[in-house]
Amino acid sequence: MQVAFRDRLALLVQREVGRLLGPVWIPAAVAVLRWRHGWQIVGSGAARREFARLRRESQAPLLVCANHLTMVDSFLIAIALGSPWWYVAHFSALPWNTPERDNFSRTWWLRIATYVMKCIPVERGGDRREIGRTLERFIYMLGRGDVGLIFPEGGRSRSGRIDPEASTYGVGRVVKSLPGCRVLCVYLRGEGQAAYSDAPARGERFRVLFASLEPKTEQGGMRGSLAITRQILARLAALETEWFDARQ
Amino acid sequence: MTEKEAFETVVKIITPHAKNPAALASAKMDTNILDDLKVNSARLVDVVLAFEDAFDIEIADEEVDSVNTIGDCVRLILAKAS
Repeated sequence: MQVAFRDRLALLVQREVGRLLGPVWIPAAVAVLRWRHGWQIVGSGAARREFARLRRESQAPLLVCANHLTMVDSFLIAIALGSPWWYVAHFSALPWNTPERDNFSRTWWLRIATYVMKCIPVERGGDRREIGRTLERFIYMLGRGDVGLIFPEGGRSRSGRIDPEASTYGVGRVVKSLPGCRVLCVYLRGEGQAAYSDAPARGERFRVLFASLEPKTEQGGMRGSLAITRQILARLAALETEWFDARQ
Repeated sequence: MTEKEAFETVVKIITPHAKNPAALASAKMDTNILDDLKVNSARLVDVVLAFEDAFDIEIADEEVDSVNTIGDCVRLILAKAS
């Protein structure tokens, strides 16, 4: 599927608006996260070094795949992978993501925030063509050198744990569409997070773990996409085990 | 394979995933799989893979984008099978 000229232009305008306003909104958003909510991320130093290394060593597309427990995960993961001023200087490293439209279209300020934060809203369970169009726009931006973030489970983990058998294929489709695509698996969880929720508790302390991989499959079609998704979910499940083992 | 045969097989494959039995009982070509039959969108992958196995075809990710109704499935399968 080709991305229409109008869509390409809209994405590039969105990216430029976010980038130009970056020196204002990125540090402000991180300040809110730290001082208003009191959230801290442990282990972000190593994650940031690995993310910067992956960005530096190759021009191949880079996709971040993570577990999903709250509606602010994409922002928390971005902050775990880079400092505010690093993103101001390397705006292409700030991941594009595809949040559920309903969750972020309720107020004008949420719509503005998602716009500058490189979000391409999607209506989950909506018209298949529209979902496909959203994925193609996402793939287009990754192909241009920007980073993307996807939650391979397709939504927040309802059991509070990774489901390695989740029947989603979007992430596999993205990887298959981008030859040489590298994946950085990120597992981020608060010490007090037992289940999924809208937002983490105030003062939550997160620990982040990560692993790189280049998923491959010989299978074609949707079966191949599912196989890639399962490889990524298996790696995330392994990180989850590591996360809980380290807590004991 | 006729359109009727493909339709019947498609309905049979969708049946375990449909949460609206009334709509399933009166399913037609224009019945929407997600909205009318209330099939969970996450189960769509299982449905498509079952189509691949049942009709011995391969369906590309992009082709799934055009699938909303039972008729969309039937037309896609007949085009692939031919």
